[in-house]
Amino acid sequence: MNRHFWIPIGVAALCVLLTAPWWVVRAAGGGGGFDGVVNSIESRYHQRAMRIPFMGLASVVAGAATHGGVDCVRVAEFEHFSAPVDGEELNRMVEERLGQGWERMIRETSRHGGEQTLIFSHPDGKRMGLFIVDLDGAELNVVQVSVDADRLNETIIKYKHHDHDDEHTSE
Amino acid sequence: MKHRVAAIILGTAALVAPALAQPSPSPLPLPSPVEKQLAARAANVTEVTLGKGMLDFAARFMDNNDKDQVAVKQLIEGLDGIYVRDYEFDKEGEYSMDQLEQLRQAFGTPEWTPMVHEHESKSGESTDVMMKMINGEPQGIFVLDAEPKELTIVLILGPIRLDQLSELKGLSGLGGLGGLGALGDAAKDKPGKDKASKDKTDDKAKKEGTQ
Repeated sequence: MNRHFWIPIGVAALCVLLTAPWWVVRAAGGGGGFDGVVNSIESRYHQRAMRIPFMGLASVVAGAATHGGVDCVRVAEFEHFSAPVDGEELNRMVEERLGQGWERMIRETSRHGGEQTLIFSHPDGKRMGLFIVDLDGAELNVVQVSVDADRLNETIIKYKHHDHDDEHTSE
Repeated sequence: MKHRVAAIILGTAALVAPALAQPSPSPLPLPSPVEKQLAARAANVTEVTLGKGMLDFAARFMDNNDKDQVAVKQLIEGLDGIYVRDYEFDKEGEYSMDQLEQLRQAFGTPEWTPMVHEHESKSGESTDVMMKMINGEPQGIFVLDAEPKELTIVLILGPIRLDQLSELKGLSGLGGLGGLGALGDAAKDKPGKDKASKDKTDDKAKKEGTQ
């Protein structure tokens, strides 16, 4: 009887101990990379991000369809984003969470219109990591993607040729 | 003894490795304090910073079968970086002449040659174009375009052929870069070097005349 009572309690305690660091980091809006940025935005602006279901699967499909041209796609969407955003603060927050290796490529900020765009890049051998934060009115999107220019270009050219062939046959 | 040598080697490696691991400094400038002041007052700010890595990456997307894209590819592949800042203000007088002067002074070194200095006192608009010349070859261009409610800074570093600049028209989304196309067109009308040197002397004469 005693053993049956203590086993679930022990398992629950173990789970709490194992996940405690994750909860602490999340509560502080901490962590780095994509999750770090999304968590920071959630905790700073008190908004909830909608993670796209089956995004992992979609990322694998995108990778296969482009022969590795596009990989590691991650998307978080904030709908009805009503909090006022200070462009400088958002930029600083994203830079801090992304950490070293990421360089800001484009920043477009509007004081009145609630429009903010940040694009960061991270060269990684032949691949280029791109991180995009885009606020347009009441919608804020966070996207991360890894691109291999050569492979993606091959795929684009392939589809261009398909288009041309289709045009010729329809004529 | 062996342990001591190993410890010294490891210690030295630990000290040197971080320095070696640091990426080479970008030729593009860090935002100056003036730019931060301007950004704080502007209603709309656009900042584009494309380093060599990003330009090489972008060049890989150019279609080798398209003549125009090949020209753009040739142009951007050799560049070290493109740096654009565009500040739009709600009203006039949000930036001072002192701030403009500070931006110009950053390029007041001997390797930068003023090509154009235009100032319209009536409209308050001014345009500065400077060229970085190394061994007689253009290695960079700086454009500062000031309008009463808008300020644009464009800096392109790396070997530049003026006649190729018109290819950047297609990049009109990048603030003042599109405007550089006109400069390229002007250079296309005459042989590149002659035109560049003529502009330089004309503008120096113009500048001396105004002083």
